[in-house]
Amino acid sequence: MESLFLQQILNGIVIGSIYGVIAIGLTMIFGVMNICNFAHGDYAMVGAYVAVGLMVLLPTWFGWLGSLLAAAVVVGLLGIVTEKLIFRPLLDRWTDIDIIMASIGLFILLENLSQLFFQATPRMIPDPFHGATLNLGFASTSVLRLGCLIFSCVAFVLLELFLNRTKLGVAIKATSQNKRAAILMGIDINRIYALTFGVGTALAGIGGVFYGTLFAVYPTMGAMPTLKAFIVIILGGMGNVRGAIFGGFILGIAEALGGTYISTQYQNAVGFLIIIIVLLIRPRGLFGRSEAT
Amino acid sequence: MSAIIARWLKIILIVVILLAIPWAITNQYVLHLLIMAGIFIILTSSWNLLMGYAGLINLGHAAFYGVGAYTSALLALKMGLSPWAGIFCGGLLAAFSGFLLGIPSLRLSGPYLAITTIGFAEILQMVATNWVSLTRGPLGLYGIPPFPAIKLAGFQIDFTSEHNVYYVVLLAVCLTLFCLRRITRSQFGLTLQALREDEIAAESVGANTNRYKLTVFTVSAFFAGVAGALFAHYQGLVSPDTLSLTETFNILTMTVVGGLGTLTGPVVGALVLTFLSEGLRYLQDLVKFDIRMAIYGFLLILTMLFMRNGIVGLFATIKRSILSRRQE
Repeated sequence: MESLFLQQILNGIVIGSIYGVIAIGLTMIFGVMNICNFAHGDYAMVGAYVAVGLMVLLPTWFGWLGSLLAAAVVVGLLGIVTEKLIFRPLLDRWTDIDIIMASIGLFILLENLSQLFFQATPRMIPDPFHGATLNLGFASTSVLRLGCLIFSCVAFVLLELFLNRTKLGVAIKATSQNKRAAILMGIDINRIYALTFGVGTALAGIGGVFYGTLFAVYPTMGAMPTLKAFIVIILGGMGNVRGAIFGGFILGIAEALGGTYISTQYQNAVGFLIIIIVLLIRPRGLFGRSEAT
Repeated sequence: MSAIIARWLKIILIVVILLAIPWAITNQYVLHLLIMAGIFIILTSSWNLLMGYAGLINLGHAAFYGVGAYTSALLALKMGLSPWAGIFCGGLLAAFSGFLLGIPSLRLSGPYLAITTIGFAEILQMVATNWVSLTRGPLGLYGIPPFPAIKLAGFQIDFTSEHNVYYVVLLAVCLTLFCLRRITRSQFGLTLQALREDEIAAESVGANTNRYKLTVFTVSAFFAGVAGALFAHYQGLVSPDTLSLTETFNILTMTVVGGLGTLTGPVVGALVLTFLSEGLRYLQDLVKFDIRMAIYGFLLILTMLFMRNGIVGLFATIKRSILSRRQE
């Protein structure tokens, strides 16, 4: 009984770290540009397909690490292109609802284009560790899952260092706090937008590789990560990077426990139930700032 | 006076054309498309009441559609209720679910409301998928009875062919549009638009925003439920896909491409996209790709970038520019 509980907590932490990686990209983009990107999970889908392609060539742990890097680069570039073509022209022109609509259009487009290019049949990213498991005493897990957790945490640490220790990172934070003051300080805001979008989508791409390795890769897989990421960033407060990491773990653990002790079929409903209840009590999320500030 | 006569002549002409269509077009497939477009017109128009008029983003509209479809289908299958009554029951239960979803909308807006409404629809879709004893799960309900024949002045009218179902859907569409026209032009509709523009200002001049939001959610969901019931008895099968996010996004795309916040926009959008995507089916044979849904996304992005008021707004702009040129 107790071991099952600890086992599910561990599973939840692993899944939660993946939700976190995908969600911090979404929350960064929202914080800096005020964009709610419903196509975010589709960047994860593209990242997963990059890994599928690369793992055919190099089906080793080396190839898996390489595909993390490749997914980040490819998806980041795709993000910068879509930002330039779709989101930049819409910024400051219309309301946030219009940007949501445009991102839904991008969601439909990416999902169906990938159906054209990759066909509808699901694919697997081969396990680079050949199903090796590790016993931690209180619970056991596959090396693959542990790898996902470790590299997610590496991504969190690198992002924190980037945002706090580098000039560009500080510029991103400054822009998210006060756009006008950032412009007055001589920050090239368009460059910051492109960079934020690129980094945010690259993180989604990396998260997509993890997600695709644990589950399957198929063209419509992007919808779930999008919804999960939104749940996570609402929990953590929209625009709050550390909140998103925290929210990811909360959602992952809640889903793992809900799936075990309530019902596996309704596992995906757990997040939505949490978010509906949280929003009924606190309309801006658990750690959200109120609108006035 | 002559203007009024001209107006009535125009209306009569449109009615005659609409009534004559099933006699002029004998192609069953085109009639099928018209019926589906009609069902989508009810869906887009009711979604537009929320998004276009009240400014409430509801990404769970397919849930109302599904609730209406499942309610009417189950009542007919399990209790033998006549589908004619089923349409109203489906609409009423959908309206009740709309009322429930309206409650969180009282405090939420923008992305928060969008996610809550998605969550509502996703949970209902999971229920439809997993409550196998009632809904037959992912297979869906099949063998739903069609509309029963009615006897009228000695004539037996049955509703097994597209030909006659067309008239049922046409009547439903006309009633829906008539109601929505009355609603949007009434005090209630004007208050909704005030609410969309500035909620605090609307509240400060005495509008009870909570009551308005709950009412508009309930009314909108009623029409979507009716559309669902029509679909169930026309197609004879309902699956959990009816409640999917994809279905909501289809409704959204049609409405936005047609023109948000206008009465004609959703009608134009539903008709144009239904027939455009079928027209592309022939192109699909050429390029060996199913590009129909990709076109939806592409059109939605183009609309947001270049013609935010949709096809209707585009035509209005063109008309205005021609008129002003003529005056010069």
